[in-house]
Amino acid sequence: MRKVYLIILVVFQFGFAQNKALLYNFTSIPQASLVNPGADVSYKYYFGIPLLSGVSANLGSNSFTAYDLFANDGVDFTEKVRNIINKSSANDKTHVNEQVEVFSGGFRVGGEDSQSYVSFGVYQEFDFLMYVPKDLGILALDGNRDHMGKSFNLADLNVRAEALSVLHVGFHKKVSEKLVLGGRAKLYSSGANATSTNNSGFVYTDEIEGTRNIYSQVISSNVEIKTSGIATFREDEYKGSETEDIIHNSFFNGSLGLGVDAGVTYYFKDNLQFTASVIDLGFVRQSKDIETRTYKGSYTYDGVNPNFDDIDGPRNVLGDFEKAIPRETLYDKYTTWRPTKFYSSLQYSFGESRYGEECDCRAKSKRGYANSIGGQLFIMSMPKKPFTAFTAFYKRSIFEKLDFKATYTFDTFSNTNLGLGLSGTIGKFNIYALVDNVFEYKDVTKANSIAFQFGLNFIFPDSE
Amino acid sequence: MEIPHSIRRIHTFLGLAFLLSSCASDLDIDQINNIKLEPVFVANLAFFDVPANKFIDDGNAHEIAVDVQPFKIFKENHFKDNLIKAELDFEIENTINRAFSIDFVLYDKNDAIVETITFEVPAYTGNPNVIKFPTEVFEQARLELLKKTVEIGFTVRIAAGPALNENSVGNLKLRSSATAYMEIE
Repeated sequence: MRKVYLIILVVFQFGFAQNKALLYNFTSIPQASLVNPGADVSYKYYFGIPLLSGVSANLGSNSFTAYDLFANDGVDFTEKVRNIINKSSANDKTHVNEQVEVFSGGFRVGGEDSQSYVSFGVYQEFDFLMYVPKDLGILALDGNRDHMGKSFNLADLNVRAEALSVLHVGFHKKVSEKLVLGGRAKLYSSGANATSTNNSGFVYTDEIEGTRNIYSQVISSNVEIKTSGIATFREDEYKGSETEDIIHNSFFNGSLGLGVDAGVTYYFKDNLQFTASVIDLGFVRQSKDIETRTYKGSYTYDGVNPNFDDIDGPRNVLGDFEKAIPRETLYDKYTTWRPTKFYSSLQYSFGESRYGEECDCRAKSKRGYANSIGGQLFIMSMPKKPFTAFTAFYKRSIFEKLDFKATYTFDTFSNTNLGLGLSGTIGKFNIYALVDNVFEYKDVTKANSIAFQFGLNFIFPDSE
Repeated sequence: MEIPHSIRRIHTFLGLAFLLSSCASDLDIDQINNIKLEPVFVANLAFFDVPANKFIDDGNAHEIAVDVQPFKIFKENHFKDNLIKAELDFEIENTINRAFSIDFVLYDKNDAIVETITFEVPAYTGNPNVIKFPTEVFEQARLELLKKTVEIGFTVRIAAGPALNENSVGNLKLRSSATAYMEIE
């Protein structure tokens, strides 16, 4: 049981949802091409400061906060857990995503007039998604006595977690003044995966008059827990460090997979822009240190039935149960799909940029608008139903090389999510910081969702 | 000189961001160790339903049926170690015109009797004859004895009365349940 809470704890340490609303289409940051390979980004070449070019974390938990669970307020901890379970639904979720770019870079290909660009890099990612296991929580807290007639739903166990590294190479090209197309190929190497997302079954107890037994009790279970890269750590003789081994495995000994990103930017008019992208359309073939545990079967529990005829031998009720719902361990490879993200935006620009004429080093400035407003849509695949967020944004070039973006995002985690982002370039040195849900920073422990990203790059502009 | 100005602005922004992010309520993560689950589970314990014409009887008082069955729940250490109280409930319905005495017997792994609970059941006289016996509560020392149980047995004795044969009517029915009070820390 404690392990479950330790997982929740880990979630809060990473702290943020995977919607990078601030980074999306913030084209003065080269990493914007990671959320849309068809973003209108241009450079002669750039490289990120290793390990510091893109650090991001996203945490969302829509039914409870760290404060609800760990507030130092003298309230009994078990009571807090009970309150959270009671007020949560089985569709409430806790989601964490963390990414660190190990290295990244890009360059223009072709001659001086070419508008084709290559970008590449390696990043490490940790992703965790767990729905609130409401019925299992009630069963663990209360037992079944006070819930006659209730079917405890085993589908409430729904969790996935993965630590992986991603090697990627992308290409984008300004096909015309109106159109930018881009794509990115990805090689995934997964160091650890745990997936238990397609469970079903129930635990049921009721008192029905006139039956031969006091209770009607049925357990029907179709539960499967798949792991890759984790079984070793559970062995008694394991003496190493899980974190180090998972990181090592994700770079050098992971389960491999493939994926693609694709994106587009289209200008209907000079000041009216549409973008769309699909990110992480891919899979990992889980093949290293794999273990699948299944609990499948159905059992009606009657208790002991003495046999006074003495025709049959004695029965072992517990043995019957284990035969009806056996715990089996399989070692088959399995495939997991990456959480696929879809972004789209529509942007309207206005107001002449005061710096447009003296600085034509960025494509955006060539268009010469100081302000942009618009909306963005984000959809991400999840085991139960897709996660959707809508963002309204405002972008402004404050100074020649200082851009600002503000976002207001509506999603299931929060409907008061104001995000602020800044990207500045001093000489060749680019620094950016993007902070979501700034209202929540007045007390981060009470935040349902927070996200931040920062990074440092050297950018050598297109025109030099 | 615009560049230094930009630097100042960036620093101001980052400084503010970190200043804001430093606000956090006092959390006590160690509370995790205080988690205490106290679920209460109910389950069937045992049942039987024997028709009168199955009893072999000559009208005298005698032991009429005996059986012992494995009962291995206490082999589950997690259950055994976290069980702090148990209650057993028995309900017997007799529609046979003879009185019965039923022993519910707990045996340990050496086949020694841990405890015997006896239920006296009056003969059926045409009126409803369902008896709910008082709850047997197992705590402290009695619970520790219960946890030694590996088999449970039933012994049915019949009191003297009209002899039973293959045409006799009525049934002797037993229904029983267990309530387990757990404390998991």
